[in-house]
Formats: sequence, C-alpha cells, structure tokens
Amino acid sequence: MAAAAGPGSGPGTPGSGPAAVAAPPRGLRAWLRSAFRFATDRNDFRRNLLVNLGLFAAGVWVARNLTDIDLMAPQPVP
Amino acid sequence: MGNATGRAPRRGEPRGNPGSFDELHRLCKEVFPPQMEGVKLIVTKTLSSHFQVTHTVHMSTLGPSGYRFNATFVGDRQLSPTEVFPTLVGDMDSAGSLNAQALHLLGERLRVKAVFQSHQAKFVTWQFDGEYRGDDCTATLTLGNPDVLGGSVIVVAHFLQSVTARLVLGGELVYHRRPGEEGAILTLAGKYTAPKWVTTLNVGYGGAHASYYHRANEQVQVGVELEANTRLQETTFAFGYQLNLPRANVVFRGLLDSNWSVGGVLEKKLPPLPVTLALGAFLNHWRNRFHCGFSVTVG
Repeated sequence: MAAAAGPGSGPGTPGSGPAAVAAPPRGLRAWLRSAFRFATDRNDFRRNLLVNLGLFAAGVWVARNLTDIDLMAPQPVP
Repeated sequence: MGNATGRAPRRGEPRGNPGSFDELHRLCKEVFPPQMEGVKLIVTKTLSSHFQVTHTVHMSTLGPSGYRFNATFVGDRQLSPTEVFPTLVGDMDSAGSLNAQALHLLGERLRVKAVFQSHQAKFVTWQFDGEYRGDDCTATLTLGNPDVLGGSVIVVAHFLQSVTARLVLGGELVYHRRPGEEGAILTLAGKYTAPKWVTTLNVGYGGAHASYYHRANEQVQVGVELEANTRLQETTFAFGYQLNLPRANVVFRGLLDSNWSVGGVLEKKLPPLPVTLALGAFLNHWRNRFHCGFSVTVG
C-alpha cells in the first residue's frame, strides 16, 4: 500500500495549477478553522472562560456608565 | 464618575476592621434576586425584645412542601444593629430536620460560633468557629465535622488584613483529612472599596471568583459576578441589578446569566400593615424551563 501523501499535496490535486484563484495560505486557513472551532465549542473550558471574562468586562462597563438613572424623573414632554 | 471636588489625602484615613471572609462578596450577592418557586407564607411574631418566632409554610412545585418553625433568642450585648450577643437560633422542619446555631462574644474581640444540622435523626454537620477581630485584621479558625474516633476533620483558616483604608488582602486555607486521604487548598483574596463601587477577587487552585458592585445612585445598584471552577471545568457570568423605589415601597431585583437564565423578583410592602408581598419568576431559555413563586411575609 502506497504511503498516503497529504491531501492536496500532489500535482494533480485541484487548485494547484497556476490559473487557480489565489487562496489564503494553508496555514492561515487552518488557523482560521481552528479559531472558529474554538470560538464555537461550548464544551471548551478556556473558551468559556474567555467569553465570560469578556462578558464580565462588558458588565462592569455597563454598570459604571449606563446605570445612573433617575427612576422618579418625570417623562420629557414631546 | 470622577470626583470634581478636592478630597482629603487618604493617608490619614483609619484602616478599620475588614469584616469576615465570608462577607467579601456580600454586597454583590445581595443585589441578585433570590430563587423563588411555589407559594410561601412567612409569619414572624416578636414575643419580647429578646425572643422571636417564625412560622413558614411552603407549597412547592419542584420539591416537597412543608412547614418550618424558627425560634431566635438574642441577648443584651449589642455591637451593631445586626450583631447582638449571645444569639441562639433554632430551625426545624416538618420532617424533624434541625438547624441550630449559637453565637457568643468572649471578651471584646473574640467571637465563637457552633452550628449543628441534623437530617432524619442523624447529625450531618457539626461545626465550631472562633473569630478574632482586631483593629485592622480578622482571623478565623473553623473546625468542620471533627471526628476523633474516625480520624476525619475539615479545618478552615481565614485571614484578612486592611492594607489601606480601601484595600483588603487575605487568604483562606482549607485542610481536609479522612482515613487514607488528606489535602489542602489555598485561596488568595483581595477587595478594593471605593466610594461608589466595590470589587473583590478570590483566586485559588480550585478556581476564581470575581465580583463588582456598583451603587449608581440611591435607586439603582448593580452587581456583576464571574465564577470559574477548575475542578468542574465550568465558568459562569451573572449580571444583577436592584431598583429601589421607597416612595412606592417597591424593590425590584433582576438577573441575567450565562446559563441563558433571566429572572426577577418584585417585593412590595403594604403599609400600614406589616406585610410584604413578593412575586418572582425565572426562565431558562436554553433548557426551556420556567418557574415562578409568590410569597407573603407578615411581621
């Protein structure tokens, strides 16, 4: 059995000719794919921690900037 | 929210006692609405300046319904509106489960506490606390379920130091021992108090807990909380707010968290009657679960 070459590594593979549309380098594509997988994996502890840290920072910003409301102030007359 | 007027230098401010370790996140926790489900009736009767009893009837939709009887005795020595010594509290439910606490003040700075809990004629918790409150520090030692014959114990030590008038640093050491097993966990804690906000952080091997409390004005208070548990591999974020309307005798608390839960509790006093009405509802969008509650408190 021939040793399996990596996918897309031979001369006959699609997208390898000079006329092909310039695609992002495989490294970048793989990085983007793994970043998307990381961002959407709800079971990943580090991902959940980063998301909740961002939410905590956003919550602190809202608390400091958007909550000074006078609930008993009269409604503005149009 | 800067302070436009000049303020006195902070170096002259006394540091003050930092309070107890368990109350580090109290301000933020009090903003969040309590979970409510079913119908609850609470009747409190003050029999004298030292003795008070409470009857609680709870008709639950999620768990067993029941009745609880609570008796509280307080002594003569009052340090603050909420601290009176000695204090004896007993709470028993219709199944015979007991929760009893005794707090006493030994001298000016030393407090002791004993807690006992039983469930169906069997003791599940027996705990003894000793707390020393200095001018700018608090030290606490707790023995949980000490069993000399079985060779098991849980020891918890807390220490908090007021480094400045606003900054408190401290830590917690939990040591547990059972036959064939023992371990210890160290947690560091810090709290910074500003005129309008308080932020607290606990970091340890078991995870982290951060909270931010903000008092926007006399009517609006906000709490933001983050908890990360490395053992369970879980993190949680929660945003809570409290709206006070003294003229309407209304307090509303709302909650939004990362588990896709939203909820709120509305409390309304009905003067001149000593009655408080509370309505609460909680909805978990992710699990499609909803529960609501209603309670009446008399006295």
